Amino acid sequence: MKIDRRRFVGSATGLAATAAVATEWVRPKYSVSYKRPRSQVAVLNASDYSERLERLLFEGIRLFDLPVNGKTVLLKPNLVEYLPGPVNTNANVIGAAARCFLRLGASRVVVGEGPGHQRDTELVVQSAGLQPHLMEPRIDFVDLNRDELVRVKLKANYSGLRELWLPRSVLDSDFVVSMPKVKTHHWAGVTLSLKNMFGVVPGMKYGWPRNLLHWHGIQESILDICATMPIHFVIADGITAMEGNGPLQGTPRELRKIVLADDPVAADATCARLMGFDPLRVKYLSEGSRFLGNLREDQIVMLAEHPDAPLRPFSVLPEFSYLVNE
Amino acid sequence: MPTISKLDENLIRRQLSSGGWSFLGSRQVSVEATCLAVLAGGFESERLLGLQRRDGSWPAFSGDTEASWTTALALCVLNAMNDGDSARKRAFQWLLEERGQEADFLWRWKFRIADRNVRFNPELYGWPWDAGSASWVIPTAFSLVAIKQYTACSRPEAAEKRTRLGVGMLLDRVCIGGGWNSGNSIVYGVPLRPHVEATAIALMALQDERRTSSIQTSLEWLKQRSESVESVESLSWSILSLFLYQQPVGQLQAKLATLVGDGRVIRNNATLATAILALKCGEMIHPFAVMR
Repeated sequence: MKIDRRRFVGSATGLAATAAVATEWVRPKYSVSYKRPRSQVAVLNASDYSERLERLLFEGIRLFDLPVNGKTVLLKPNLVEYLPGPVNTNANVIGAAARCFLRLGASRVVVGEGPGHQRDTELVVQSAGLQPHLMEPRIDFVDLNRDELVRVKLKANYSGLRELWLPRSVLDSDFVVSMPKVKTHHWAGVTLSLKNMFGVVPGMKYGWPRNLLHWHGIQESILDICATMPIHFVIADGITAMEGNGPLQGTPRELRKIVLADDPVAADATCARLMGFDPLRVKYLSEGSRFLGNLREDQIVMLAEHPDAPLRPFSVLPEFSYLVNE
Repeated sequence: MPTISKLDENLIRRQLSSGGWSFLGSRQVSVEATCLAVLAGGFESERLLGLQRRDGSWPAFSGDTEASWTTALALCVLNAMNDGDSARKRAFQWLLEERGQEADFLWRWKFRIADRNVRFNPELYGWPWDAGSASWVIPTAFSLVAIKQYTACSRPEAAEKRTRLGVGMLLDRVCIGGGWNSGNSIVYGVPLRPHVEATAIALMALQDERRTSSIQTSLEWLKQRSESVESVESLSWSILSLFLYQQPVGQLQAKLATLVGDGRVIRNNATLATAILALKCGEMIHPFAVMR
């Protein structure tokens, strides 16, 4: 067959366009990877929020040999609203964690949060009962909604946002601990350590709530934020968790667990299993397992008890019934 | 009240060398904190005018290159000080053009047909926190106050139309039992609870409107809730709002004065400035009052 010049140019252009589209499709959307061969998780049994919690947490954290000596540790709890019920990370868990990191040699602990709906951060902190814990020396609180901001290029591009203004206190801390409340979520399925990082995106720039992230996709934004602000450790409050129409309107569920992990994907996958969900069916978790951490059980070393699926899975809104592990 | 002069001193001490105020002591000028500080201390608005963008809007903070809801607050400041005629005109024009995402017919269609988990009337839109997002209660309320103040003598048709839409949006989003949450009243069939600050600011925007049952119920809710509020920010906005409805605020002011002390414990400069405004309520022209 004779190929004339016009046909050649046409075919070449078509091929080049196809290759460009294919490359864009195949090329990873992330420019970093925090995955290690194995991740460590400890599931601790905790029946309540009593004083015994600090000892339990201290023993649990010590299993990990964390490099926090002389470092500034930022605790990012999940403080959302002044509502009754298990909406926020329990203040006793936050206070106990702060004291544990100081005992382990941290030079300073900063509790940082930017509530997503409520502009009055002081009111949320008061209602959560956190203030007594913040009176202790070397434990500070920073309102991430109003911190100094730095424009940061995102290290993944799922949302198309490409850059965000983020708080200096988080960017400058040596060791970031995500402290979620274990809850179902009416838009993301579950809200755990990765989704908890939404709270570092500042209201003073993006509003209350951060509507921009919703428009750009919650699951996609979670991946972009966590690629850019790595989580070094997770302490998930699953003592009294939330099921149903979470994260605000759900019902309490006594799970009686605290999940510790040196990998946020492993932490969230373990929490999802404890909730009776298949973590692979949580979109941001399965995608996050490519570069943010380990999801598969054979890549996770259990340091304490091995978690069993609950007798009854957490209830979810009908649109998330596919999460439930059959 | 002796406390106020000390609070003023504190506010002056926290002013940045560049002339504005940050939220929490950094060198990054926050437009919101600067607006409230300028109002509270009666300072010059020069630094604020210097941050205005070419299109008439203000960013959220120095260094930010995008427009923000703070434009409404900045226009309130200039209205109160009767300052910066050209800047005010440009801010007013920008506010008239700015709208929540629901103003786009495709989004309205989406909310009407497909996305019905959040119950609201998408025909009634207001103002967003930042470009490209939906309408929310607080930016809509401040925009309404700013436009109502600016057009107090003569309101062009376009401004009247936006005002009616904005008021309609606020009344559409009122919570069952009164008050406002951040944007919606019912999500997934469950009623949301009102927030003190959002309710106080929304009521300020409706101060000159006919006292509908929604407004009256919200006012009652705020009166009752403000008695138990222990946070400086929410209590300050409650006082500023209740005062506009001719409600007694003396006891709330006394409680606020106790909470703020000499102001040193209040790290957030915007909160400190709002507290000063609330404590001065009745002694100065209310910066968010709308002429009827």
